[in-house]
Amino acid sequence: MDESQFWDIRAFVYQHFAETTRPPRVDEIASRFNLTHEQAVSAYEELHQRHAFFLQPGTHDILMANPFSAVETSFKVHASNKTYFANCAWDSLGIPAALHADAEIEAACAQTGGTIRLSVTGQQVQSSDALVHFLIPFKNWYNDLTHT
Amino acid sequence: MNMLFFQSEEVLNNWLTSNHVERGAVMTMPQLWELSQRWYHNRLSPEFHGRTAEQVQQIFRELGLTSEFWQAS
Repeated sequence: MDESQFWDIRAFVYQHFAETTRPPRVDEIASRFNLTHEQAVSAYEELHQRHAFFLQPGTHDILMANPFSAVETSFKVHASNKTYFANCAWDSLGIPAALHADAEIEAACAQTGGTIRLSVTGQQVQSSDALVHFLIPFKNWYNDLTHT
Repeated sequence: MNMLFFQSEEVLNNWLTSNHVERGAVMTMPQLWELSQRWYHNRLSPEFHGRTAEQVQQIFRELGLTSEFWQAS
């Protein structure tokens, strides 16, 4: 597989996530790009290694293509008449930034469990008392991505 | 665990105390939105192939994130 096809697959994964709120499966990649199952698996593994997206440990299913999450989380984003799940507080605003779309965000306060509602309209976030806390220094973010 | 929302500064301080963790970096929503736009605005583009550590550091510098917390190495 040549270098450009890796990036074509990466672009397709993001387009698929944006359009459907979920990532494509390996067999969908194989069909779309006329690859064998093994070639599609290999491409997913390579893109995982390059941090283009991240696979569920022990599988060939995409878990995260930041800012999108393939699994339900406590960071819910309503945008473009769809409901997406973000990986973290930052990615909650990352989804409307990536989609260039207005969004309503429902997330949980990590201490109280209370709902935090945020609104992005016309490329502006409406005022809120909410804060985001980053625990881990940037240089350590990729040590354990699911913890991050 | 790393990037979490809190309803207020007081609530955040309660969380830090109850979890026995040190304060990291804190942003308001306008600051987080600015970072999100800078970080993710071209994520759906086929031309986006990731960033080097230097490119990441440049983004943080442009947003005034220059403390040790935001250093790539």
